[in-house]
Amino acid sequence: MPGQEQLKSSVIDKDLCSGCGMCLGLCPYIKTVLDRVRVIHPCGINEGTCYKICPKTSLDISWLDQLVFSQPRRDQALGVYRSINFARACNKSAGAQYGGVASALMAFAIDRGLIGGVVLTGGTALDPKPVLAKTGHEVLSCAGSKYTAVPTLAALNQAVRTSAERIGLVGRPCQIQAVRKMQHVNYMEEYLNSGKSVQLTLGLFCFWSLKSGFYDYLAQKACGEEVLKVDIPVEGLTVTTSGGVSTWPVDEIRHYIKDACISCTDCTSEWADLSVGSTEYDSEWNALLVRTAAGDDLVNLAVKEGVVEVRPYPEERLPILRKAVLNKKMRILDESGEVVWDYLKVPGEYMAEIRKQWEVLQ
Amino acid sequence: MSFFGVSLDRPGHSVVLTGNEAVARGAIEAGVSYAACYPGSPTAEVLPTLARLGDRFNIYTEYSTNEKVAIEGAAAASFAGLRSLTICKADGFNVALDFATAICLSGSVGGMVIMVGDDPAAHSSVKEEDSRFLARTANLPVLEPATVDEAKEITKSAFDLSEKLALPVVVRCTTRICHASGDVCLGELPQMVKQASLSRDQKSITSALFASFTKNKLKKAAALAENSPFNFYTGPENAKRLVVASGPSYTYTAEALEILELAGSVGVLKLSTTWPLPEELILKHLKTAGEVIFAEEVDSFLEDGVMTLAARHWEDVGLIKFYGKNSGDVAGPGGPFVGELNPDIMTGCLGKVFGVSYTPPEIPNIQEARGLIKNNLPGRELALCAGCPHRASYWALKTAVELDGRDVIVLGDIGCYTLGLRSTGYNVLQTVHCMGAGVGMASGLGKLDRFNFRQPVISVVGDSTFFHSVPQALINARYNQSELLCVVLDNETTAMTGHQPHPGRGVNAAGLQVGRVEIESVLTGIGIPVTVHDPYDVEGTTRVIFRLLQEKGPRALILRRACALVSVKGKKKDRVYVDQELCIGDSCGCARFCSRVFACPANIWDNEKGKAHIDEAVCIGCGVCASLCPQKAIVVERTV
Amino acid sequence: MLASQVIAAAAVEAGYKVSIGETFGASQRGGSVMSHVRISRKKTYGPLIPKGHAHLVVGFEPLETLRILMEYGCFETAVVMNDRPNYPIGCLLGEDKYPDPAIIVEAINRMVAQNQVLAATELAKEAGNPLATNMVLTGALSGSGCLPFDSQYFINIMDTLFTGEIKELNTRAFRKGLETVRRDQG
Repeated sequence: MPGQEQLKSSVIDKDLCSGCGMCLGLCPYIKTVLDRVRVIHPCGINEGTCYKICPKTSLDISWLDQLVFSQPRRDQALGVYRSINFARACNKSAGAQYGGVASALMAFAIDRGLIGGVVLTGGTALDPKPVLAKTGHEVLSCAGSKYTAVPTLAALNQAVRTSAERIGLVGRPCQIQAVRKMQHVNYMEEYLNSGKSVQLTLGLFCFWSLKSGFYDYLAQKACGEEVLKVDIPVEGLTVTTSGGVSTWPVDEIRHYIKDACISCTDCTSEWADLSVGSTEYDSEWNALLVRTAAGDDLVNLAVKEGVVEVRPYPEERLPILRKAVLNKKMRILDESGEVVWDYLKVPGEYMAEIRKQWEVLQ
Repeated sequence: MSFFGVSLDRPGHSVVLTGNEAVARGAIEAGVSYAACYPGSPTAEVLPTLARLGDRFNIYTEYSTNEKVAIEGAAAASFAGLRSLTICKADGFNVALDFATAICLSGSVGGMVIMVGDDPAAHSSVKEEDSRFLARTANLPVLEPATVDEAKEITKSAFDLSEKLALPVVVRCTTRICHASGDVCLGELPQMVKQASLSRDQKSITSALFASFTKNKLKKAAALAENSPFNFYTGPENAKRLVVASGPSYTYTAEALEILELAGSVGVLKLSTTWPLPEELILKHLKTAGEVIFAEEVDSFLEDGVMTLAARHWEDVGLIKFYGKNSGDVAGPGGPFVGELNPDIMTGCLGKVFGVSYTPPEIPNIQEARGLIKNNLPGRELALCAGCPHRASYWALKTAVELDGRDVIVLGDIGCYTLGLRSTGYNVLQTVHCMGAGVGMASGLGKLDRFNFRQPVISVVGDSTFFHSVPQALINARYNQSELLCVVLDNETTAMTGHQPHPGRGVNAAGLQVGRVEIESVLTGIGIPVTVHDPYDVEGTTRVIFRLLQEKGPRALILRRACALVSVKGKKKDRVYVDQELCIGDSCGCARFCSRVFACPANIWDNEKGKAHIDEAVCIGCGVCASLCPQKAIVVERTV
Repeated sequence: MLASQVIAAAAVEAGYKVSIGETFGASQRGGSVMSHVRISRKKTYGPLIPKGHAHLVVGFEPLETLRILMEYGCFETAVVMNDRPNYPIGCLLGEDKYPDPAIIVEAINRMVAQNQVLAATELAKEAGNPLATNMVLTGALSGSGCLPFDSQYFINIMDTLFTGEIKELNTRAFRKGLETVRRDQG
């Protein structure tokens, strides 16, 4: 099993790093600033944890399905899930995005003592940062989508060094993948395995993440006003400042998309306990996928306690979501139908199904 | 020890002094009133010796910001009729040279002596330079002591000579005088009243018109040199084999001849007046000699001069075979113009020239001994001291540069921090030239964008370097709108040369508090935005450097933290140790970061146990390694 | 550096002529440091000892002692040395390997007739401060009997050179070195 040198040559130097942050804080040799992750000095060790847990060194889709769900997937677009709904927080907090479900559920979980802390992305739109929240209040203060690639998992590694336990994670799909890899990889050094402290994962919908150059763009567009909220729905980039709301076409920010996101096929955090995203339809609600028993238990309790409300996912909207996801999955194939990316392991059966399910929706 | 020896009022008594102390004593005995220097190895100890005795002997002593200012102040004292001493190393004399070439024309009044310390083998320098050539260019006589005792006598006599000629005199010493110690016979302490006097009628004008006057002064110096008591000859009369030697090389030569048993057959002309040459004296010996060997450091100054003299008088001296640096016969392992001489080199060279073979006593079992250690004798590279703030600065700088990823160019300069060129400083620096050069070069690099040069430029300088010559380059950068980040490593002292104070410290040579010249204020005055940070906060420093790298225009960062050697002097140190349970040593997650990478001399590694340790004899308790340990295994027991 | 000056001062008190050659400055930043001390009744010698002519080598750490001995020693050279390694940065970084100190001592024992090894740093710690190692070794040198003047000159000179706590510390350290060597010699 390779180590830091190969992590550098096959992921970092190739711009495949999505900035998930799982390798940060494991050792003194990998550091971060903004959305960048860099090896700053060779460690000299041939086999390393960093390589093992990085979601871009290898991602075996069916292996992960077996690990997390003990079954293969049937829906190639959305992965394994128990239910899909619209959901929203009953008392939405000020900065919350759309239905505010992610922050409401996690704040509830921590206030109820179901988990001991939450690792998520806090800060502001122009200066986001990884956060370990200890109370529901702290979770809610982090509400609001951050569209840049923040290495949130650095806070997980740090939390574990302070003996934090039963941690909840709110993260992008690549971050959920990294944690799952860390939870299941063999021969992991005890003192480095932060995966085993994670009790609950809430993954976000994500089609791409942006480079930190986006902040300069945002600051420029805001013309000196304070940026209160950023939203990037299908229509375009919408920025709310103290001066008002403005929209710009999404094409303007395409070149800020991280290169790593091009190879990614996981648009809905396929291995999280819960997945939350925008509905692209009703800005008052979130789309909510419940995937595991643990996720199910939390949602049921939250509904019972009046923290969130759910309603069925509109039938006519589901194909739209699935089509958008399958489009992205099809783009990883070359002309001959092979997966372009070495690290991505998609079994033949899955590949055939992806093609079939995609064709149905054309 | 020697300190109390320097001020002892016991004429005729012998004390052991270092060469620098001997020069100081010689100046004191000559009644010096004004002494100025910018600290430079090997001469750095002269001024503090005088400073401590400044009140007792009424001497004004000054750490000048650079050697140019030092020599100018000393010249002014001379102009006012006082005896003055300027002290610098060869590199420093380069800085003072513009003025030196002027004052030889305008002349001096009170005895003005310039003590220049050359550093053969560059023990504490970036280059070996022979300052005698510079003195000649400046039309100044050169006196070279060969022993510590001579250093005192010659310095004392140099003031008289300077007044006789109305010309400054250079006393040229080398490391093996300055940092050597030897018996010095003390002379009388001065009883004079020192009175400055300068009238409106006195002129000190530099003009090409005075060149002939200066040349005449040198002729007079040459005439005086013929009878100088510091030149002497030992050996047989009318020697056919002659060694012409100056400086400590004379003592190596004398010892070599003893070892080779040639003292009776080879003559040695020892010269201390090496510019202008005592031509008659030299010619007298050249006339009878058939073979002449030169023993001197650093370059072939004496050799060239004597050979030119011989060429001018070829009819009188006849055929002579000359052996020296030019012929390659007098050379150390690095070659004729490289490195210092010593008794062994002279023994080898003289033996070869005179056909006497000599093998130094060997240790009989040396091969066996070598075999035991498998011929493995690891070299001892220079390293930053334990707790040195530069180590922390360089680690932060290295990290920030890697994160930036644009191939940032990092330029260095002269000081302890020059060690950033080596592994102890993580090879962060890529250049070093002379004082302040890093900023000048950075200013140039920062203008190359029109030639598609897009790499950010960082120039690293020390605090003492800053006051020496950096503002000029920064004004240039600001004026010419050059892109550069100037990082000032402010350890609040001039460390490498012995912790002398400088304007930023707010203490002068006499130890008085004088109010600091703040580096921040100078930078702000120039119009360069300045940030200040503590390098011991490595993470914070990394972020600051990264942020500054993204900004535009000339900007500066001061990383301020006192030199480790100064901060712990006389104080109780916090105890630092490695929790053996928490240390993961070699494993993934650390890979021996503290001892293998961070490499503070206090971070040591126990190979048998596979754990890190702190060498308490060396550790100063700064805690930087503790802040970097990934397992938080290094513990600092703060008592302060 | 301080040790060589103390030795020189003691020698001068005892009526000898002394020359010392050493380097300060850059070489103090972890580089090789050696001092050449030359003592004579009659002559003032140059500051550097010719190869193979050292009568005595006082080593502050094993590797340097060996290095210097190989260049300046001969069979008759008497050695007084500290057993505690001072690792060069190359060894700390793992680029070089510091030889086993016990083997270094063994190598030195093969080379010279007289080698006095002591745990000078430990003795200095006992005296109160590991920085007094140089005084321990100076005491050991005096105790070896190889110098042409006796230890009383050292005691006297330390009385003049140092004051207060420093004097107490240095004198204690000196005595420890002196007594250890005298005891070992039996």
